[in-house]
Amino acid sequence: MGRITDKVAIVGTGVTKFGEIWEKDHEDLLVEAVYEACNEANVDLRKDVEAAWVGTFWTFSGVAGDAFADPLKWYGKPITRVENYCATGMDAVRNAAYAVASGVYDIVIAAGVEKILDQGSRGLPDLDKMLLGAEVTLNAESAPAMFAMAAVRAFKEWGWTKEDLALVAVKNHYNGARHPKAHFRREITVEMALKAPMIAYPLGLFDCCAMSDGAAAVVLTRPEIAKELVGDEYATIKAMGLAVETLHPFYRKDWTGLAFPANVKAAEMAYKEAGITDPRKELDFGIVHDCFTITELINYQDMKLCKLGEGAQLIRDGVTTIEGDFPINPDGGLKCFGHPIGATGCRMVAELTRQVLGRAEGLQVKDAEAGFAHNLGGPQAVAIVGIVGRPDWKPGEK
Amino acid sequence: MVGIISYGAYIPIWRISRDEIARAHGSATMGGERSVASFDEDSLTMAVEAGLDCLTGMDPKEVDALFFATVTSPLEEKQAAAMIASALDLRRDVLTADITGTLRAGTIAVKMAMDAVKAGSAKKVLVTAADSRVAVPSSDLEQIFGDGAAALLIGEDGVIADIEGFSTVINPIPGPWRREVDLFPRRFEAKLDTRYGYLHDLPTAAGMLAKKLNLSPKDLAKVAIYGPDPRSILGATKVLGIDPKTQLQDPLFSTVGITGTPHALLMLVAALEQAKPDERILCASQGEGSDAFVVKTTEKVEELKGTRRGTNYIKSKMMLPSYARFAAFKGVLDTGWPSQLPEMPRSPVVKYWRDEKAILPFYGMKCKKCGEVSYPIGRICMYCGEKDNYEIVKLARRGKIYTFVHDYLFGPGNIQPGDGINPATKAAVDLEDGCRVLMEMTDHDLKEVKVDMEVEMTFRLLHERAKFRHYGWKARPVRG
Repeated sequence: MGRITDKVAIVGTGVTKFGEIWEKDHEDLLVEAVYEACNEANVDLRKDVEAAWVGTFWTFSGVAGDAFADPLKWYGKPITRVENYCATGMDAVRNAAYAVASGVYDIVIAAGVEKILDQGSRGLPDLDKMLLGAEVTLNAESAPAMFAMAAVRAFKEWGWTKEDLALVAVKNHYNGARHPKAHFRREITVEMALKAPMIAYPLGLFDCCAMSDGAAAVVLTRPEIAKELVGDEYATIKAMGLAVETLHPFYRKDWTGLAFPANVKAAEMAYKEAGITDPRKELDFGIVHDCFTITELINYQDMKLCKLGEGAQLIRDGVTTIEGDFPINPDGGLKCFGHPIGATGCRMVAELTRQVLGRAEGLQVKDAEAGFAHNLGGPQAVAIVGIVGRPDWKPGEK
Repeated sequence: MVGIISYGAYIPIWRISRDEIARAHGSATMGGERSVASFDEDSLTMAVEAGLDCLTGMDPKEVDALFFATVTSPLEEKQAAAMIASALDLRRDVLTADITGTLRAGTIAVKMAMDAVKAGSAKKVLVTAADSRVAVPSSDLEQIFGDGAAALLIGEDGVIADIEGFSTVINPIPGPWRREVDLFPRRFEAKLDTRYGYLHDLPTAAGMLAKKLNLSPKDLAKVAIYGPDPRSILGATKVLGIDPKTQLQDPLFSTVGITGTPHALLMLVAALEQAKPDERILCASQGEGSDAFVVKTTEKVEELKGTRRGTNYIKSKMMLPSYARFAAFKGVLDTGWPSQLPEMPRSPVVKYWRDEKAILPFYGMKCKKCGEVSYPIGRICMYCGEKDNYEIVKLARRGKIYTFVHDYLFGPGNIQPGDGINPATKAAVDLEDGCRVLMEMTDHDLKEVKVDMEVEMTFRLLHERAKFRHYGWKARPVRG
């Protein structure tokens, strides 16, 4: 099996402001992100870009290749729409990267967009319709409920508490307050989190990421072309791991809620591909899918930053703050950006690139050379892990 | 002789005190409390519960016919009995019938069951009777009514009580009645109905029977008789010449209310639970006439004691906190569930039909290679990947909670945004056969739900998407 390591360069990133963007539609958002990415990459969309992958989770954010072709009036080109639950955005990047690595295309775009607010702001729209239409036999649950059930087990097995979850929210809001493109730019306190209304017991309002609109795009090429376009100002993809598990984990008695199998497998794949044996020592930071605070803590464990059951200790000890030993979500995470599903993974790859290129003003991780980004989608059904670093970064202890 | 082989009952867990109903309207209270079917219960689901209770420890495949007696079938055009038969896992060649239109339907069903057995066309007939009637808010009937179900297994072999005789009289007097377009039953004149209907018909039918069997009132250990209200029942005992203190079976007014079609049978079940061998019990109903029958218990009546939940369901209860919740449960107060749900472009009805075995009698699959039981049924084992090598198995009806959530976003039936009242509790349940299923929970106190809590399956209305009533199983804390 081959490796993608250092075969693909990220030369341009574009991220819109995330939030409740009533005055723009999904087409406006995508145009904004794509032109920003092309501009940064010094490429002309119409002359230089050869193919595109676009992530949209819901059909109302765009279907087929037209999700990209129509907003950008970019016709007659190879475009593929990607959907893979919350991994949608990063899976668009992954597919685009493989196309570049294959040598078929020189310059491609991966983008993602979601326009959620137009469909209503109380929980993810239409999920019940999708689940119920397909699986009348099976009971379904809202997105926070999928993770609340893991929190109940973690509380029971390890004695974690709602205070531990609140610490995650406080940390991410601290970071998000410093990111100009975040949806929420306000610090919160543990007390605020604990007093918030219940969404899916034991998860309260501040344990849940926001409902937000947004778009993101990255321009990918081969490193030798990258040098011509942007000099040394590019990052390379070190690894991409993707694992798909069941959509119905709560019908499996081997589901423990203490570790998410898709996470574990995607992380193993990515670390192996990048040649990493101890991520905590070899990488500088990470961006994990904090759709809910409990998810972030379990992700610490699944991403091998600590042992099983020790996730809460990392947040208690401040290990994952921006000043800590291993910063997690220096951007503020989904907690502050919200989760326009098609855009999120793509935004994370853009964020990794900004960090390793030293462009994350106000929330720069010190000496960041390489980090990982991670999404976990559905009821822990789909996990993707991407590792991005400076072109000269190599695995091994710092 | 044809008789009763087994009995069962079901009373919903919810009660409301009549004081609370009276308080809401500023009216007088009749005292005590009444039972209330939950928002996800109706006469069909309660009939399933009573049927399950009646068939405890028995093979449902031995039942040859199922009758469902009610005046509140949730379906105008669609036979409830066929769905009940599937939920109870009866054979496919059973005779099923909904017997309806009169509060006498329960005893009519008993007579039809007896006749089927006598004619030799069935060996065992399951009679289920259930009602969940809705009364005009603030009317006396709102306090009088209660919700519940009863079931009797009728046959010739191994009876706990012989049915010695059966008499009927008809009398098409005006009330009560309810047209197809009405939610509430109407009465022309309650006093007239009682005097010329109830107090005339029931003693007439009982008198015909007493003559036929040469019985006098003192031969009866108990009488289990329906009445439109407690006072009328006392009036009937006078006409019948029986002592209300010693011979009248508790009419369940202070604890349950008058349940309608199942009521006489429910009182009979309560009497049988206490009966000694060789005792006679009169059971009589009324509605457009009256049916009366007398049973005489056999030695076997002792064997069934303690094996059925029966009227023990009365003791297991939770109080509704307010009249508003009661009104929402009875559908008088529209909380938007399920009436205000957005229309679904795609109907899951086809899937409901295709997966009937998994949904109504609740079967899963057992892999012949690894032996694991899983749900739902698919061609490939989710644990070992073995293809097309499994048997379908009826899933266990009890289990323990592995984990749970109180979901404030998705309400009951995975309905967004909930019923506006409750979060929907869902639990990953480890059934006793090792199968794990994600169940909606019902009949629970949020504060009491815990990991490792024991739960049991209960048959409920899941949702009403595409205007089809989707029934299935939920989990509830084991009822004591």
